[in-house]
Amino acid sequence: MVDKINTMQQQHAPPKPLVVYGAVFALLFLPMVISTPLATEILIWAIFGMGFNLLLGYTGVLSFGHAAYFGLGAYSAGLAFRYLDAHLFVGIAAGILAPMILACFIGALAIRKRGVYFAMISLAFAQMLYFLALSPLKEITRGEDGLTHIPAMALFSFSLGKPLPLYYFVLVITAIMLYSTWRILQSPFGKLLQAFRENEERAKACGYNTTLVKFFSLVLSAFYAGLAGALNTVYLGYVPLTTLFWLTSGTMVMMTILGGKGTFLGPLVGVGVFLFLQNTISLFTPRWELFVGSIFVAIILLFPGGIMGTVEEKIAAYRMRRASK
Amino acid sequence: MLLRTEKICKYFGGLKAVDEVDFTLKKGQLKSIIGPNGAGKTTLFNLIAGAYLPTKGKVFLKDKDISRMTLNRVSRLGVVKTYQINHIFPSLTVFENIRIAAQVCKTSFNFWRQASSFGEINDLAEEIMTKVELKEKRNWPASTLSHGERRYLEIGIALATKPEVLLLDEPTAGMSCAETNHCAEMIKKLSTDLGLSVVLVEHDMSVVMSISEEILVMNEGRTLAEGTPREVSDNEEVQRVYLG
Repeated sequence: MVDKINTMQQQHAPPKPLVVYGAVFALLFLPMVISTPLATEILIWAIFGMGFNLLLGYTGVLSFGHAAYFGLGAYSAGLAFRYLDAHLFVGIAAGILAPMILACFIGALAIRKRGVYFAMISLAFAQMLYFLALSPLKEITRGEDGLTHIPAMALFSFSLGKPLPLYYFVLVITAIMLYSTWRILQSPFGKLLQAFRENEERAKACGYNTTLVKFFSLVLSAFYAGLAGALNTVYLGYVPLTTLFWLTSGTMVMMTILGGKGTFLGPLVGVGVFLFLQNTISLFTPRWELFVGSIFVAIILLFPGGIMGTVEEKIAAYRMRRASK
Repeated sequence: MLLRTEKICKYFGGLKAVDEVDFTLKKGQLKSIIGPNGAGKTTLFNLIAGAYLPTKGKVFLKDKDISRMTLNRVSRLGVVKTYQINHIFPSLTVFENIRIAAQVCKTSFNFWRQASSFGEINDLAEEIMTKVELKEKRNWPASTLSHGERRYLEIGIALATKPEVLLLDEPTAGMSCAETNHCAEMIKKLSTDLGLSVVLVEHDMSVVMSISEEILVMNEGRTLAEGTPREVSDNEEVQRVYLG
């Protein structure tokens, strides 16, 4: 019986620090398995995914406009690099700060709305930003062409224009974000997010201002999205207008659900699988969306918990079986 | 007087769910609210807890007007409710369920320090688990508990916020006879040991009569009678309407 309890504890236990170190160790070798630019892209989107997962997976709030934070992060960094000749870290800081301010604004207006209403309001804001960048602000954002002529970045004497140094630079940041996410999930605030997801009414009855919980979760999530957006600018050397488009938000939702929302490694795995499939299938057909879409539908129908959700379930069931023997 | 309502009313459209009820609770008192279905017991409860805004009238906690405060603010002031239907955090462990409530005043928005490193809060959670007899199920996800255990957890979560007034909404609902008696004993013990003021909404008359110090009988949103269990059970009007 005691074994059984321990097994149950493990099933619901937060991830061990070893998971963080293990993931970072594995990522060290990723460029040896797949192309370095693809690996870099995976890391960038994984950071975006970690933040999105905090909001969707752990807080239970669906935003359908996260492109706003990602895109604004990308543009803010890009504009700082291009027009102000900003230092790498200054540009990244701008890319983080602007989306956080935007999240404060959107949060203040819409955070009281629930479920689909919040999702739609966030989508509307993202689309507004998209059209702002497309036309009225064309002079500075370069509209449909995207923001080009961003100088190659360097960190001390290392040029980040080359794939491998850039990959390891992004990896360091990914490692910091993975560790931070792990810390946040273990913190009283992280526990509170999960309590909110489980039962908002009860969290309120315990004395929590649940609106504030949701608000902080959104702003925190925007931090990740902005950072990812800024890194995307460093990686691509330009800012495509599509970073603000609703498809970016939709892709993020797909990636997170595919990997397993509310699981620690879910976003990383979801992003990895999605981008790998996209890259591989697009070698054979320009209609890769059709195939990736089908695979997504199949996975969600067969494994509703997503990849990592199912893996965690299977491991727990296996341990349970062993314990009961 | 620790808690009192002054001619409190709650109307839902044309329905007068609670109509000019004066309710009082002394410190350390265990008081029950009884009445037939639809008498307005739970509504009165929710008005006190801040879950509903009163249509008219006021609620005072130690002479502080709390009538327009929200559920979470009233809870912070020490008036905490439990639910008739289990409202727990199902996929979190028993310990986490209670710890979440225990951390409310101190550390809620700490992003970085490990929750497990807050000794005082963890000790409180452990202590509460012992009080509601769930220590052995410490690491079980709440969803795997039996109905009776969930009812205890429900009380445990409320206790962890260190309330002054505990509002228990049918804590023995769905329990077997033996479980009901046990739960009633536990409530009585908690009230005595912690000096806690308890308001109980309950259908089981044996529980109400055995542990309450005072009873408020409601009917159709209004106060029908108020007094000790003996006075209430001797009241002819109450016998006619409720006790049969």
